[in-house]
Amino acid sequence: MGGGTMRSLHALVRAEMATFVRDRASLLLTFLFPVLFILIFGSLMGDMGSTDDIAIGVVATRGDAGDSLRTAISASGTLRFNEYETVEQLLQGIETGSLDFGVVWEDGLLVFYYDPRRIQENVPFQEVARGIASRLRLAAQGLEPVVVLRTIPVGGQPEVPWIHVAVPGILAFSILSAGLSAIAGHVTSMKQRKLLDRLIVTPMRPTLFLLAVVIVRLLVTFASTLITLLLAVVVFGLRFDVNWLQYCVLVVSATVGMMGLGTAISLLVRQASSAGHISTILSITMMFISGIYFPIEIMPRFLRVISYATPLRHMAEAMRYATGVMEMSPARFWIISAALFALGALLLPLLARYVVRSGR
Amino acid sequence: MDTPPIVSIRRLTKHYGAVRAVDGISFDVRDASVFTLLGPNGAGKTTTLEILEGIRRPNAGDLTVFGRTVRHVDRGLKEEMGVLLQEGGFEPYLRVREVLQLFSSFFRRPRPIEEVLADVALTEKASALVRTLSGGQKQRLAIATALINDPRLVFLDEPTTGLDPQARRNIWAIAERLRTAGKAIILTTHYMEEAEALSDDVAVMDHGTIIATGTPRELCAQLGQTTIIEFDASGVGSEELSTLQGCCRAIRQDGSLVVAETDDFLKTMEHLLAWSANRAEGLRDITVRQPNLEDVFLTLTGRRLRE
Amino acid sequence: MKDCRRLARVHVTTALRERVTFFWYLVFPLFLLVILTLIFSNIGSVGDLTLPIGLVNQETPSATADFATIIEDVFLSLSQAGTASQTTLFDLRSPDPTHDASAPSESQLNAVRNGDITALLLIPEGFNQDVLKAVTTDSGPATLTVYLSGGRSSSELAESVIEQVIAGLDEQILTTLGRFDPLSTFAVEHRTIAAADDEPFQYVDFLLPGILLMGFFTTGLFGVPGTILFGRDRGILRRYWVTPLTVPRYLAGFSMGHGALCLLQFVCLWLVGRFALGATVVIFRPLPLLFLVLGAVTFLAFGFFVASVARTANAGMAIANILNMPMMFLGGLFFPIGDLPLALRAVMYVNPMTYLADGLRGTLGIDVAMFPLPVALAVPAAWTLVCIVVAGSRLRWGVER
Repeated sequence: MGGGTMRSLHALVRAEMATFVRDRASLLLTFLFPVLFILIFGSLMGDMGSTDDIAIGVVATRGDAGDSLRTAISASGTLRFNEYETVEQLLQGIETGSLDFGVVWEDGLLVFYYDPRRIQENVPFQEVARGIASRLRLAAQGLEPVVVLRTIPVGGQPEVPWIHVAVPGILAFSILSAGLSAIAGHVTSMKQRKLLDRLIVTPMRPTLFLLAVVIVRLLVTFASTLITLLLAVVVFGLRFDVNWLQYCVLVVSATVGMMGLGTAISLLVRQASSAGHISTILSITMMFISGIYFPIEIMPRFLRVISYATPLRHMAEAMRYATGVMEMSPARFWIISAALFALGALLLPLLARYVVRSGR
Repeated sequence: MDTPPIVSIRRLTKHYGAVRAVDGISFDVRDASVFTLLGPNGAGKTTTLEILEGIRRPNAGDLTVFGRTVRHVDRGLKEEMGVLLQEGGFEPYLRVREVLQLFSSFFRRPRPIEEVLADVALTEKASALVRTLSGGQKQRLAIATALINDPRLVFLDEPTTGLDPQARRNIWAIAERLRTAGKAIILTTHYMEEAEALSDDVAVMDHGTIIATGTPRELCAQLGQTTIIEFDASGVGSEELSTLQGCCRAIRQDGSLVVAETDDFLKTMEHLLAWSANRAEGLRDITVRQPNLEDVFLTLTGRRLRE
Repeated sequence: MKDCRRLARVHVTTALRERVTFFWYLVFPLFLLVILTLIFSNIGSVGDLTLPIGLVNQETPSATADFATIIEDVFLSLSQAGTASQTTLFDLRSPDPTHDASAPSESQLNAVRNGDITALLLIPEGFNQDVLKAVTTDSGPATLTVYLSGGRSSSELAESVIEQVIAGLDEQILTTLGRFDPLSTFAVEHRTIAAADDEPFQYVDFLLPGILLMGFFTTGLFGVPGTILFGRDRGILRRYWVTPLTVPRYLAGFSMGHGALCLLQFVCLWLVGRFALGATVVIFRPLPLLFLVLGAVTFLAFGFFVASVARTANAGMAIANILNMPMMFLGGLFFPIGDLPLALRAVMYVNPMTYLADGLRGTLGIDVAMFPLPVALAVPAAWTLVCIVVAGSRLRWGVER
């Protein structure tokens, strides 16, 4: 590339950057959304899954039954238990959220009570409850467990709260929407407003313009993901073991790949204005089935299958790998990155044709 | 016998702070005629029109419309008025028929929609979505909404701006038919041909005041027995222009033409022929004509109609 | 009146014809309702998922008291389907037979690390002895080691299932050894706290009122400023003001249209929820309906408020986007709001959605309400009033009246 081309590129990048920064709405959406997600979900469901500090309610019973209950509970982990005078009070405690779940003897039956609305949290609660129940059944006959399970984590972060696993997923999602919207949103809107036509009649090559768009968008995704990561660390005290090489590779390839996807959308839709909406719909749909907010395992089979075809799922897992939350085979990581990059590398050049295509 | 004017404005005033957009103007609009308000941008004609259309309140002045004197245009008056705005939109996802049904519901005595559609030649497009219409078709739809209540008074604000010649002629035909049907039309336009072709009366407005009124012919006659000579300006420098000053009343360069205004055609022509004999370019593309509204406008305001 | 009716009809027609609004008003809430219900009815259970696991048995087989083999057999049986169509709980990947089984192989651990298998269960050498000792002496239980992949949801699920299997095995071993009497033990039940009407809890009953409110919220927050600002910016409204149509009548027609849209949303969502997803919640009672109507009205007013604060249509949409998420999630639409840091708690208490969702669910009998009924009604009503007052004074219609 000659000096003139570099200068053009430089000017284009600055122009693109200025456009992006001036579009306050877009700016806010790109940077604020992931932050909001993390703040809200982190606060609401952040420590879901961790077995520290679970509040269990019991009805104050005297004698062996009560003692063995308390022993079983204490043996099951670092749990808090609150004692109530009556079952009604305990149930109310669950309703009001001061308890996570409760355990009561009812006519010789050991009953655990849960708040049905806390759908996702009840899963780990039930696990703890089952542990307590097993211990109690044995203890009632004067026995102790003879076989226990010892877990050894291999790779990744063990025993982490839900938010820890969710953060990389949210980062992946923000890259997805930033990449998609750069093309099926930003560029299409320029096309719609005939701004591209003005660029075409200059001697500048369309590919240079697109390169500028890619560069600016990369800067944006880097900035936004790093800010979000920093926020997660500062506000929630999370620890990430980031492999910076992999992180950078992933951000670059995912951004490029999603811009490629955006190109595909722009080329396929008839109207420039629809492209933005379709990419929004696509990204929101992907968000649900990509395992970011709830595990893929609980979805019905057909959704699990669709999930495999969803780029976001693989982006999220790759991001978990790059931030040290989850392990995967390095080969898989590089394949994902390469595939994403290829998606962009193949499709983005087609965008040059879109830019010069006469508007309808 | 004079029928009373359908609209009478006295001392209409509108100011924004220190700026007097409309400065105490007065005029009459005759029934069953086309009244054209001419003026450059910023003259105050848009504001005047908006006051008459009822979307702006004047600071002072009397409006007598349909024989009723009011301070501002109210709902009752609007029932008998039809307004074609200079700029405005329609819901893109409505069909043409639905748009007219909507506007029809705003009035007490609307006309049948099919009739109005026929008036503006949009019958085949009745089921088309607004977003599929061309510029000219959208303009005709807008006119249709202005005619849906069979108004006595119609406002046409820049009705043909941005339209191709065919579309423009269509709209002129509509305006003619309206006048023949006995309606009064208040028109504003940038196009001289339009003003000359359609107007019965013209008022020229500048800086918030009316500086001339009359029929087109009367206004042109104000320029006296003037003849206008135009020729190609290539090669004519400003010094040459000034040497030619003496041969006519006024001479100027207007784009690619030199325009000379003269009271004595023969004398000026002799002078020009003599001057051009020594030039390589000679005297090319000569036009000799009577003054038109554009010239009147230029003389009165120093600006062109279309800026 | 005919102008109001016609305006209402136009409002609904244009909303439905434009694909974007049709999607967000109708398709998306339906989609959300269906997908969340599908997903969350399965939660905690493994469903039709087969978990690939590995098992290494380092214990030497013996003729008697071979607990290790018992355990191995149990897992084997759990991974063999009775018939071809059944899905198995596990998919046992046998360890490499040529490998020395004294320690789990690097390749097996890698398989766990990379998620190829979700867990690796290791029965150590001397396991049978340890079990006998655990039964006869106080030396503590025998341990089985399970290797899991950190941060991986399938591993977590596998661990949970394996725990349950082991707990059952525990009792089985002790029963075999004559120590545990399964007949004299107690049963265990896991119950959800019943709401007022003692019906078994279904997530769709909890979700449907939330989605209804979300639909009204979207229509109000996005649709109202979108339509008004777009109408004003594009000069659509201007064409109305030169006719006898007045702004109040326009607003009346607009509001009627909004109401019709909300009604349409309600009908579609309720039909799908009731007949496709089996919701049992009885919505056709005065108080729940009151809350729904109040919701539609409050969000209509809120939409006007947003329209009056934004200067252009783009700004309006940006504001709507920013408000959308916090108001929805911090309003208890999808899950109950537990302990929140102070700042978010403040948002929750200010948010009219919180009271509407709480009141709606409370009067439907799904929840015990957090707020007393008068409060749940008063706060959204107050919001409505404030929004109308602010919008009334701030909204520019482009006409001097």
